[in-house]
Amino acid sequence: MNCKECQATISDFLDCGLDEAKSAVVRQHLAVCAGCAKVCEDFAAIVDSCRTDIPSDALPPNSRALWCRINNIIESEVKPADAVPPGRRWNFSFSQTFAALACVAILSSLLTIVGIRNYFEPSADDFITRSAASQTTFEKILSKVGLSDTPQQARERRLREQSLAIEYWNRRVQLRKGQWESKIRDAFDRNLHEIDQAVNEYQDILQRDPQDDLSGEMLDSALSDKMNLLREFADL
Amino acid sequence: MIFKLKLSSKFFYFGKATFLLILSVVFFFAPANAQRSFSKNYPAASDVRLQLLNRSGTVTVEGWNRPEVNVSAYLEAPAAIISPQTIGGTININLVKDNHGRGEVGNVNFRIRIPYTSSVDIETRMGNLIVTNIRGGLVRAHISSEGDITLTNIGAAAVSAQNGIGDIFYDGEIQPDGNYRFASVRGNINLRIPFSSSFRLVATAPSTRNISLGSFANTNMSFLGDGRRVVGRFGSGGATLSVTNQRGGISFISR
Repeated sequence: MNCKECQATISDFLDCGLDEAKSAVVRQHLAVCAGCAKVCEDFAAIVDSCRTDIPSDALPPNSRALWCRINNIIESEVKPADAVPPGRRWNFSFSQTFAALACVAILSSLLTIVGIRNYFEPSADDFITRSAASQTTFEKILSKVGLSDTPQQARERRLREQSLAIEYWNRRVQLRKGQWESKIRDAFDRNLHEIDQAVNEYQDILQRDPQDDLSGEMLDSALSDKMNLLREFADL
Repeated sequence: MIFKLKLSSKFFYFGKATFLLILSVVFFFAPANAQRSFSKNYPAASDVRLQLLNRSGTVTVEGWNRPEVNVSAYLEAPAAIISPQTIGGTININLVKDNHGRGEVGNVNFRIRIPYTSSVDIETRMGNLIVTNIRGGLVRAHISSEGDITLTNIGAAAVSAQNGIGDIFYDGEIQPDGNYRFASVRGNINLRIPFSSSFRLVATAPSTRNISLGSFANTNMSFLGDGRRVVGRFGSGGATLSVTNQRGGISFISR
């Protein structure tokens, strides 16, 4: 028997777990090998100490509390691993997957609509009456690159359109005006004069301050009044 | 000389006879073409709508507690042609269309009485418009040129009054979620409404900057554009109130 074989069987030897023949061979080797004899002595001392009663002073002051703390620490380390086990897969049915996809589609559509409205839709009813400050970001970008009118340009375009309509109705009125009674003709002229004065007033203000949105709005309103006056009297 | 006198007296007698003949013909045929007065009754439901377009003259519309409409008109010479039409629940009188192409047409002064729950839509090219005791859905009064608009004891949810030169006076309620619009080129706009009203207001008087809110002034009202416009809210702000006077003032009076 060599040392390796001897040390491998020392534990069984001490526990009397070997047959007599093997035990005799181990005894012979221990008698001649100081190293293995030392290992055997150490083993024997450990076995003896384990077999004797554990003294009370060797225990911690509150072994139950210590065990609880250890247990808590172990559980806290183990729980997250239990909650999300590695490699877990979400298993959804077809209907659940379809419903989830439909929800995502509806939500993204709504967000798109809100975004488009915010970008494209004017905040006021009439673009003409709006200032540069109330333009949407998209409108500002378009007007900067020349693809869209600024509020001033839009107002001028609207004024040109109104002027054309006024010219048309004025021609119609002039054709019929001679047939009107004098009181109607006088009332018409007075009203037209009044509106023209208002128009001139707003145009003067806008020449001094083109950014005056209120005057722009009032000019638009006065020209609409003039057009309506002409149109309504053209029927007479 | 004697011959000349005889000739001129003969001519005088002949001219006089001709004149009398023409006069008698005119008097004989005149009633067929010209109406001095007009009156007609129509049975009506409570929610009837009156739609009237006049050329010139005063139109007075009064609400009453009867299920019928009475249209009375007094016509000045040369008398206009009036032919009212009832289509569905609407009584339609259009003097502009009925007298289109006629040169001179005299004033027509209407007095119309309708169920007080009716809607009223009246318009004239010239003359005053007066509406009282109407609580239907709509009251619209529009004067193309000159004339005053007087709306008293009105309880409609939609009211529109617009004229050229002339005053606008409104004495009525402001219904929650109602829509009220008053516009004039030159004149005074006076609005007498209950203090318990609630509305969002845009009042603009760019020329005079004369906007008097009276007891409706509060911290929710802001003067904009150097006092040319007032924007704000009174109460919970349920109704919409828009008042524009190009060259006149605007006043609010508490009822």
